[in-house]
Amino acid sequence: MLMARNLKYLFTFFALCLFMASPQSLADGNRVEQTYFCQDELGAIPIRQGGRVKPLLVHANEIIKYLSGKKSYQNLSAVQTFCLLSLQGMDLANTIKLSARVDHVDAQKFLELPEGTKTIAFKDLVEEIPRLQREVRKQKIQDSRTKALQTLLSQAALYREITGGQNWLLPAVTNQRVDWIPVTSFLREDKILEAKRISQDPFTKVIFDEVERYKKVAGDKHVMEYHFVKAKLPLVSMLLTLLALACLTLFKKFTLALVFSFSTIAVQLALITVRILISGRAPITNMYETVMFSGFGALFLAMIVGHYKKERVYIYMGLMYNACTLMMMNFATGMLSESISPLVPVLRDNFWLSTHVTTIIMSYGALALSWILANTILIKKRFGELSRQDEVYYSDHIYTTLKWGTIMLGAGIILGGVWADYSWGRFWGWDPKETWSLIAFVIYMAILHGRYTSWIPHKRFIPLVAGAFMSIMMAWFGVNYILASGLHSYGFSEGGALFLGSFFLIQTGIIIITTLGQGGSIGSEQTSS
Amino acid sequence: MSTKQESASIHLNDSKAKSSTKKGTGFNVTKLEKTLGGLKFAVILLSLFALAMVVGTFFESYFGTDFANRTVYKTWPFMLLQFGMFISITFAAFLRLPPKKRLYGFYTIHAGLIIIGAGSFMTYYAGVDGSLVLPPNTPNREVILSDDVLKIRFPDEGRLVSFKLPYTGFSTNIDEVYQDIKLGRYLPFAEKEFRWQEPRQKYQPSEPLHSTQYTLANEMVAQDFTLSLHPESIEFESNLTLGPLTIHYLPDSLAQCFGQNNPSKLILWDRSQASCYTPEDKKIAIKKADSGRRFLVVEHKGDLLSFFPDVSPWPLDQEMKVKRGAELRIFSKKLFEEKPNLFLFGQATAFYDKDEDQWFQKPLKRNQPVEIPWMGFELIMENHQISKVPSLVPTKVLPIQKNNEMIKGSTRALELIVQDQSYWVTNDQPVQLLINGKRVVFLLQKESLKLPFEFVLTRFKMEKDPGTNRAASYESFVRLFSENGPENHHIYMNNPLKHQGFTFYQASYSQDRQGNYSSTLSVNVDPGRPFKYAGSLMLVFGSMWHYWLNFRRRKKGKVSPLVAGLEEPPVS
Repeated sequence: MLMARNLKYLFTFFALCLFMASPQSLADGNRVEQTYFCQDELGAIPIRQGGRVKPLLVHANEIIKYLSGKKSYQNLSAVQTFCLLSLQGMDLANTIKLSARVDHVDAQKFLELPEGTKTIAFKDLVEEIPRLQREVRKQKIQDSRTKALQTLLSQAALYREITGGQNWLLPAVTNQRVDWIPVTSFLREDKILEAKRISQDPFTKVIFDEVERYKKVAGDKHVMEYHFVKAKLPLVSMLLTLLALACLTLFKKFTLALVFSFSTIAVQLALITVRILISGRAPITNMYETVMFSGFGALFLAMIVGHYKKERVYIYMGLMYNACTLMMMNFATGMLSESISPLVPVLRDNFWLSTHVTTIIMSYGALALSWILANTILIKKRFGELSRQDEVYYSDHIYTTLKWGTIMLGAGIILGGVWADYSWGRFWGWDPKETWSLIAFVIYMAILHGRYTSWIPHKRFIPLVAGAFMSIMMAWFGVNYILASGLHSYGFSEGGALFLGSFFLIQTGIIIITTLGQGGSIGSEQTSS
Repeated sequence: MSTKQESASIHLNDSKAKSSTKKGTGFNVTKLEKTLGGLKFAVILLSLFALAMVVGTFFESYFGTDFANRTVYKTWPFMLLQFGMFISITFAAFLRLPPKKRLYGFYTIHAGLIIIGAGSFMTYYAGVDGSLVLPPNTPNREVILSDDVLKIRFPDEGRLVSFKLPYTGFSTNIDEVYQDIKLGRYLPFAEKEFRWQEPRQKYQPSEPLHSTQYTLANEMVAQDFTLSLHPESIEFESNLTLGPLTIHYLPDSLAQCFGQNNPSKLILWDRSQASCYTPEDKKIAIKKADSGRRFLVVEHKGDLLSFFPDVSPWPLDQEMKVKRGAELRIFSKKLFEEKPNLFLFGQATAFYDKDEDQWFQKPLKRNQPVEIPWMGFELIMENHQISKVPSLVPTKVLPIQKNNEMIKGSTRALELIVQDQSYWVTNDQPVQLLINGKRVVFLLQKESLKLPFEFVLTRFKMEKDPGTNRAASYESFVRLFSENGPENHHIYMNNPLKHQGFTFYQASYSQDRQGNYSSTLSVNVDPGRPFKYAGSLMLVFGSMWHYWLNFRRRKKGKVSPLVAGLEEPPVS
């Protein structure tokens, strides 16, 4: 492969990112010894929270992460922590000292934290609830301070609900009917005493007996989700993609790379399929799912096009982009939430919506391929070697991915119009999400048209393609994380703006460094006309 | 669209051949046509279009949807840009005539775009896009559109005049005259600012005109309020209810009588003199009627007036008829002892303290808190004006939108100049004036459209996600009254109702304080719809066709896409 040598650097860079992001080993401060019956097996039991039934493992992971920023506490898993905190409502004491992160400086001041302290124990935070409530109500304008206080308030309220034993809901089956009751009323003394006669561990027995009855009435979909979460498919597919990439670029074993690529596709297909089975809808309704789908779609598309064009560089583009998306899914968990929650009414049962978003996300994937290749060429040209012939050769492949990407983007925008017409009766409403996808489309159109004028020779074409992807990122993330208004409702989080800002900065930096280094020759080369 | 340049890219020899055939077949291409259909023109337009949209989305994010529409998307420069693209696309296709087989896809794409453009224009020109609010069991046929209008109603003549206001984002001077009414500044985005204004008319010195600003606060809450007796005050009244507390604002001359703990707890108020006295002051006997009710007879300017103070403040004359609006009236403090009532007289207050079973009257000094006997509240007098009018005057602002809600600039206001006096009519406050003895009502509203049929919301159904308060779906059951008699329909998300060319979609809902749901339907007429769909199909299939033709040509080795530059038809 022509570009293999320099890809090593890129690969090392990603590998380095991987190590830096891996969780730090926990300091063994205060282990929690008394765990009653709170074992990890409880993760498999169903709980109804946030509008759907899910395994306790999923709920506990989400809750403990929301409260403390981590999915575990000292030597305890999220399930154990959640269980122990809930038992506090039944006067079963524990030694857990869960703390909330207080990052906002004004919030630290409001809570009168000592200098340099960025956490507050929930036991203390709960005491502050009335004061927080008053402060939040007083604010008319939503600034970042109010938002930080609001988050603290809802965290504290949630903690109070959990430790009151009101958040852990368990199924109670009576005559084919399931009621969800809090753990404090579920574990009644008479039930426990009765179970104690037959079992060593009466609590667990009472719970699992009821879960068996529940399964007979309501099925065991939550068990599938439990095993799904346990399988950690995003992590598996990330490792497979990185292996494939290593085989392709470092070891130059193309067949092996292909084998790993196919395995990645298979694992991701399983990941997507199970998510569809759990949520009962197309896997494209929040940021996490769109990122997941675009990486998969791009690799899939790249493998097909690569096969027909008999060109390995497509496999490289697909793997590289897939690796990016999978790293985001595994490490950027603050920005992309993997939780599955019910949709707002307009997004439900909608054929046009599914078709529209699928097409758009596939187009983002295809255009991301062009972005990967354009940046690779830029870096390779600046810091390695790339003949003019190769540059022209590769920009032909960039053109192929652009062709796929823009057709799908155009079709996706039109399908979006059809969906809007079907749901609201208007084809186009200048909603920021649709406007930004049109902006991205128009920018790519300007580049493709301009390429046949003297304004955009090859030397400008490649950096422009690399830069144009910023408009896709803006349409995809920026509208939600920066503009944050309009009808489209996939999530909204603070970390997103930071991520997007750094992306724009790095991408602009790459373009500046790689083109300025080429001296004054830009634009001197012109296509014949 | 993405593809025309490649199809147009042909070898140099080829293009020379083409230009000569063009001349031969009579296709003369002028320099202007070449420029308009040229790629550079297209690139410039595309870049400007993208730039304008970027500005639009940021405006939308900061200033709101309405502002972005008024300043970017629905302005003539932006429309002109779209028209320019329309021209560019048309000429690009025209320049590549007569038809060539390899350009069939390209023609389809461009024709598709032109048809979409035509369809959009038809929607813009002849379409309807509005909303219909259906409160429970109340018939409605009025569709609210987006244009702002001033409606001038002459109730005596039963006449209504409508005046369309400009679709602008900024303060505009209308400068139009209708009869004696001049329209001044129009503020599409305004905030109401509190101001003390000089009265427009002269008043008798005895007439109470004062207005006061107060703050009522305890440790938990603080509430500012303004009360006024001035007849010109529109926004501020003399009564206010704050939770369980009722506040009465009375003329200052009544204050001293409230402080007297006279046994009868009655106060007589003479409006003509702006003075008060108690029955005890004038030694008026309080008798008991056969029914056991108290009554008293007072001589006032020669008339004998009888009062039943525990029933009504108004007197009965000699014929025992109620004299509403009489100069003399009576207050029975007894009636205000059961529930919390706070009496304010500008610079004094009076209230009944249940614990002490006594009425108190206290003077209020600026910024000095006075304790009142409910929930630890303190009353602070902030400002007192004897004759100035408290008013909310609209001032222009840049709007702010957060989380789909206007938090600043949600008021629309228009200045009316009548007989050299300026009045503000706003979207939430109509203005009523007497012009040359005739009543005239001004309303600032949205343009509306009367449907030829009528709707009633018979039932609204909302389903929630299990165990939460989030709406999972909302559905309207409506009864439609048309010439064919009533029909029942069920409208919900993704299941619109089509009737007589109108389409009704479930858009949103609202809930009033009693918990009743109102449903909002969006109403739509789109004559351009078939064109937009046909054009879109042509666009997508044209692109595919085009790439297919290109792919075949490339396979045959006819074209190398990257080496060739674009050859445009030469100027003839």
